[in-house]
Amino acid sequence: MKKGMQIVLCVTLLSSLTFASEQFAMSDADRAMYEELLENNPADMMLAEGSEFLDELGGESALAKYLGVSEDALPSYIAGFPRYIEKFKMVVSIDQMLQGMMHDSGQKPYALKSSEMFNMSSYVKALANDEEINIDVNANKHMKEAYALGKVVFETKRGARGLSCLSCHNPSVIGGILRTQPLPDISAKGNASAATWPAYRMTKSALATLQKRFQGCMNNALLAVIPLGSKEMTALEVYFTDEAKGATIALPGLKR
Amino acid sequence: MAKRKSLIKIKPKSYKDGEVVKVSFMVMHPMETGLRKDKKTKELIPAEYIKKVVFEYKGKVITTMNVWETLSVNPVFTTYMKIDGAGELKVIFTDSKGEVQETVAKIKPKG
Amino acid sequence: MQRRDFLRNLGVGAAGAVILPSVSFAADAPKPKGSNVLSYKDALKAVTGGKTAEVSAKVNLKVPEIAENGAVVPVTVEIDYPMTDSNYVKAIHVLTEKNANSRCIDVHLSPANGKAMLATRVKLGETQEIVAIAELSNGTFLMASQSVKVTIGGCG
Repeated sequence: MKKGMQIVLCVTLLSSLTFASEQFAMSDADRAMYEELLENNPADMMLAEGSEFLDELGGESALAKYLGVSEDALPSYIAGFPRYIEKFKMVVSIDQMLQGMMHDSGQKPYALKSSEMFNMSSYVKALANDEEINIDVNANKHMKEAYALGKVVFETKRGARGLSCLSCHNPSVIGGILRTQPLPDISAKGNASAATWPAYRMTKSALATLQKRFQGCMNNALLAVIPLGSKEMTALEVYFTDEAKGATIALPGLKR
Repeated sequence: MAKRKSLIKIKPKSYKDGEVVKVSFMVMHPMETGLRKDKKTKELIPAEYIKKVVFEYKGKVITTMNVWETLSVNPVFTTYMKIDGAGELKVIFTDSKGEVQETVAKIKPKG
Repeated sequence: MQRRDFLRNLGVGAAGAVILPSVSFAADAPKPKGSNVLSYKDALKAVTGGKTAEVSAKVNLKVPEIAENGAVVPVTVEIDYPMTDSNYVKAIHVLTEKNANSRCIDVHLSPANGKAMLATRVKLGETQEIVAIAELSNGTFLMASQSVKVTIGGCG
């Protein structure tokens, strides 16, 4: 019975998708106009603020030292997050790593959901601009486990509509238009989400990280929202980042 | 009130005297219309928006903008200006609550 | 049978929900209005002082045909006109046809701008025309307009 229900809902979802030729799809001229907005991305101001927060911790040199890499190697190292970090004994995203850095330097860490942390972690990820995503999910058993868990989170159908991330981001529906917006290919072959988030969200007039975006998506698709920085959430970021491996980081992004 | 984050961008980054360049000013401002309700208190959020933006180059006003609450949150203002020697470009905005803030960029033409 | 009862209850509930707000609206204050309510007609008069603004290809108005999101709609206006000391574009005005306050921005230019252009982002409450008006130094007005479709799109 439950299974039958899921199939019905799935078909409903698919039938509400139309394809790019449909009249509500954006024209190329429109898309070009929105791309031009990147020239003056309001998120640039938020990252500038994030840069000041990092300066209070000693700036990039202090960050490189904290991570045990040279300043020259910092951008490429950042392009490999989320990473397993020995001193934390866990796989962490940039924001949690920065919480550790704040804590170790005697400061009260910013909350993961705070705008201060969004601004600072986005600035730090943008240090890797022009680098290719180089996450290594086979680096150690922790990364392997995180990737495997991320894949499970990505594929598991949950919530009242029985949807998973995969329901909308799989090869058979990618490119389909769901309420005027094409469903993106999250991989390096497509829009490489992990390379363009954090981004300024025009609908929210705010900067959001990849994990924050996942929460928005879960909320809209009626899935229980997974907390920022939880094992599952970090694992999902690992999975997304691996999908975008090789893509060039270009931050901050600008999204609808 | 703490200074609002703002930014002036000149495009291209390197320019010569006499060149006409694109200048953009952006600021983190809520541009409240006065029509939005606070989700928690259900009270209307009072209007708070930028009313005026003045571009001043080497002490001379070159562009004045009158602005209403109908512009987007964290607004961006882009126009052109003709480079006419080194000096300061000041962008001064005034909002509906009387707040005034100045952002300065150094104009340094090459050649 | 139980299912039908459930549906009937739902129907009553839904009807009630439609009636209640209108009652409370009638009793309470009317729909809130912003401090700057100005119709397109009045805004146009304020800008041109009652003069005619001629539709002209010199006013190059660029807006998306379909807005991804009504809260951030890019608008670019470029005027194909000289910017010399004696002959220049004095101002560019942007108006909307249906926003409660029709005015968005006036940009007062001078020959020191070198080129007459404005780019900004506006809020649009609904599908409507955006109007750009150029005020020239000789006292005449040129205009262009374009419709923008505002949709509630995408996932959140």
